Amino acid sequence: MGQTVAQKIIARAAGRDAVEAGEYVTVSPDYTCCQELAWQTRKRMMQEIGVDRVARPDKVIMVVDHTTSAAMGSAYHVNHREMKDFAFRNGVDNFFGAGSGLRHLVLTERGFARPGLLVFSDEPNIASIGALGALNIAVSSEVVATQIGDENWMLVPKSARVTLTGKLAPGVLTRDFAQILIRDYAQTDTLSQSCIEFVGPALAGLSLDERQCLLACAYHTGADTALMPVDDLALDYVRNRAQGRPFHLLESDADAVYAHEASYDLSTVSPMVTVPPELHGAVQVENVAGLAIHQAAIGSCANNRLDDLRGAAAILRGQRIDRAVTMYITPGSREVYAQAAAEGLLNVFMDAGATVLAPGCTTCWGYEGVLSDGEVQISTHQMNYHGRNGSRSARSYLASPYVVAASAVAGRIADPRPLLADASRRLS
Amino acid sequence: MTLIRGRVWKFGDNISADNGIIQYSQVPDLDTFDIPALKAMCFAELQPNFRAEARPGDVVVAGRNFGHHSHQHACVAMKECGVAACVVESTDSAFIRKALNIGLPIIVCPGVTSLAEQGDELSADLATGEIRNVKTGATRHARPFSERMIDIWRAGGFSRAMRLKLMPQVAEPVRRGTRYGI
Repeated sequence: MGQTVAQKIIARAAGRDAVEAGEYVTVSPDYTCCQELAWQTRKRMMQEIGVDRVARPDKVIMVVDHTTSAAMGSAYHVNHREMKDFAFRNGVDNFFGAGSGLRHLVLTERGFARPGLLVFSDEPNIASIGALGALNIAVSSEVVATQIGDENWMLVPKSARVTLTGKLAPGVLTRDFAQILIRDYAQTDTLSQSCIEFVGPALAGLSLDERQCLLACAYHTGADTALMPVDDLALDYVRNRAQGRPFHLLESDADAVYAHEASYDLSTVSPMVTVPPELHGAVQVENVAGLAIHQAAIGSCANNRLDDLRGAAAILRGQRIDRAVTMYITPGSREVYAQAAAEGLLNVFMDAGATVLAPGCTTCWGYEGVLSDGEVQISTHQMNYHGRNGSRSARSYLASPYVVAASAVAGRIADPRPLLADASRRLS
Repeated sequence: MTLIRGRVWKFGDNISADNGIIQYSQVPDLDTFDIPALKAMCFAELQPNFRAEARPGDVVVAGRNFGHHSHQHACVAMKECGVAACVVESTDSAFIRKALNIGLPIIVCPGVTSLAEQGDELSADLATGEIRNVKTGATRHARPFSERMIDIWRAGGFSRAMRLKLMPQVAEPVRRGTRYGI
């Protein structure tokens, strides 16, 4: 029986010729990647085991991304210190301190995410590395302890295939489509214990940033993980970043088995807004347009890449955000930050009255940009449950960078397409 | 020996971990795991007599989408109440991992809700995947756990299994009911 790419990646890491969907196997992942937030529980686990060293420090990637500065009143400065000490003591070269960026971007930009590699991380949204053909499997507290023995168990996910056709209309991003996909699946267990393989002619028209956005949101459909085929665009990116480190170009076999198949025409997608507090509450922007907002935020592993910032700047150029709105923009990595500066995007944001924060998760989990009682936010974040960004009575709407930027200008939730059309008229 | 046998507590579909198995927002101390509080709230909203009547070795049977949107506290609550295993129609991989990390097996077994009713005796063999209603003799088949997973279950959790593997001569039990390294 044929194997999917995900099965081939897992089989390689398990030292096997083939693996079966639903099977439990023992694997040696190529990398394990963790952040700082739960360091104390990671440490406690190591203490219980009675070991404070890892067997394969070369496979460990540690990133400070949730707490980009050790702020007054926050306890996380201890984790920054202890993680750094642990890395240095263990010979872990790949420790990336505050401001480096999110694990998702550190993995891609620094050439760790390569085709055919298996990465164990502490977050399912790191499936974004599937844009380069690497498979993310989210584990739990044992993410560091996995490297004591250089192995762990995992479930071989079922494979689901989502075929994408058509081209996104102006003003529409993969973020909008991701919100539709979550709406369609999050209340079912259809994609439970699955790896989504996104395929189809539409992929060629999507930038790597746009692909990573979709993959970073895939977990919220109920799937374990997701990836895409590696095309020339992805391969060029990998070759430029891999620093000669190996990778494995794999393809799904023609007779591979898919437990679920679906297809979507991207040309039918329009700007969406997900209404709190559930992730499946996506509606077309027209349904909620006009709702007054207090805060707008662009960032999170879904939308903190260069194309997202370019999109926001296309709306904000020459505009001022509404005086009632506080706007935060968080580049996803130091590289994205620097490139945004070089392209003049940061100036656009400053002129519009937005605040640019240091690269990291920042506002997405409420470390910064904390909401007060009754406040309304629209953001490109990943979650919208009560209390995620501060007060439990605040409300967090989710949308694309276009919708968030247009709403910041209007002071209310707004359709970005008129502003974008104006902007392109001005340019021509 | 990979056989678990116990009395069934039966639950329906879509039992949320954080707003069903426990009430996550009401856990007093998330960091250190407040065991008495977790035990007191375990399944309390779904079967109010669970806390008083659950016995060590009991088995949870549940429907589709068990334990979605989970924090590990829900696993700790069940484990501390004496639940020996959960056998469910479907769940997510993260929940299986969080539970096994503290020695609680969650077994995916399509059809289990038509196999067993509340109060029945159910047996589950982790190595073969055979799930059996002891009284009726009816069986269903689940995916067997791998050897590595069975080692973790036997040891009572990931940390203890690693400790046994690395230092069999000095290994001592990780104390239960004190702190979870999770």
